[in-house]
Amino acid sequence: MIVLIEINATILAQILNFLILVVLLRAVAYKPVARLLQQRSDKIKGDLDKAEADRKAAEQTLEQYKVQLADAHKKAQDIVDKANVTARQEHDAAVAETRKEIERMKATAQAEIENERNRAFDEMKSQIVSLSLAAAGKVVMKNIDTKENDKLVNDFISKLDKNMFADLR
Amino acid sequence: MHDIGVRETIRFLGLTFNIETLKMTWLAMGIVILIACLATRNLKVVPQGWQNFVEMIILWLHDQIDAMMGRRGRMLAPFIVGLFMFLLASNLIGLVPLMASPTNDLNTTLGLALLVVVMVHCLGLYFKGGHYIAHFFQPTPVFVVINMIEEIAKPITLAFRLFGNILAGEILIIVLLKLMPIWMPIPSVCWLAFSIFISCVQAVIFTMLSMAYLANAVKEDHAE
Repeated sequence: MIVLIEINATILAQILNFLILVVLLRAVAYKPVARLLQQRSDKIKGDLDKAEADRKAAEQTLEQYKVQLADAHKKAQDIVDKANVTARQEHDAAVAETRKEIERMKATAQAEIENERNRAFDEMKSQIVSLSLAAAGKVVMKNIDTKENDKLVNDFISKLDKNMFADLR
Repeated sequence: MHDIGVRETIRFLGLTFNIETLKMTWLAMGIVILIACLATRNLKVVPQGWQNFVEMIILWLHDQIDAMMGRRGRMLAPFIVGLFMFLLASNLIGLVPLMASPTNDLNTTLGLALLVVVMVHCLGLYFKGGHYIAHFFQPTPVFVVINMIEEIAKPITLAFRLFGNILAGEILIIVLLKLMPIWMPIPSVCWLAFSIFISCVQAVIFTMLSMAYLANAVKEDHAE
């Protein structure tokens, strides 16, 4: 039986108890938590640094892509321009070729027409001669009136001439 | 339940111990260790559940320590965390019926207070050497008397504040139960609620004052 306020050996036991508690707590709880907090702050810092680096890399890549895209646009424009020029040249060449061909065909056709006409004219001439001879023979047989004879031959020839040339023209 | 003002004692190796205080101290220690183990059993980088609570306490204490003591104070963090958790558990188990707070015994509170004060002086001598002794004689050597009284008052006030608050709370719980008829529980309940508040506040005060004393000894002095 001891009064309320009495200091005895309990004070030593309590100090010892508390020191044991602190050592245990430090080992069991404080150290792991403190280490974890440190780990977390390290990780967050590392993540932030990495995010910054990634952002920079992405910006750089974007810049590169923009340059490449502009380059590609320019190249495509060049190719289109070149193709346009080539097509224009080919078109002009084809037109010229066609014109030449047409000229050539026209010339051939005209030469052929000329030939035909000459041939027809020659044939006609020879027929005229034979017909004239036939007409002359008839006139000789009928009478020997010179006047009448001349008139007949001339009439015949002039008539034939007109008809034949009208056809040929 | 024990009678007010009387303690059971045992004798061991020729020394006298208050056995109930020791039992309750071990219980409080067990609770603290159990909570710590449960809270830190499964630590993850992304916190969950109890881990949040423990991290919150530790981060808050770290902030306080950094603000009051500077970088050197970090090595005292486990001591201060332990002090706070032990006092909180000790103060609160006294409110459970049939149990008593280890802190209702002056041996516990004076023991802790002396431990703190001894640490203050040892750390002060270790970190500051002659400066630490010299600062008791400032601004003039006459002040050594006042300074000594202050240094002696520190552990006594620290110990008696906690002891008085907790013991008074427990005594009043018993007194109210005996005073009031059984159908009138309101005063007891009110006092119990207030005791919970007092228990927390006293744990904080003891811890903060210990930190303040330790800070005096540990932190770097720029003025000198």
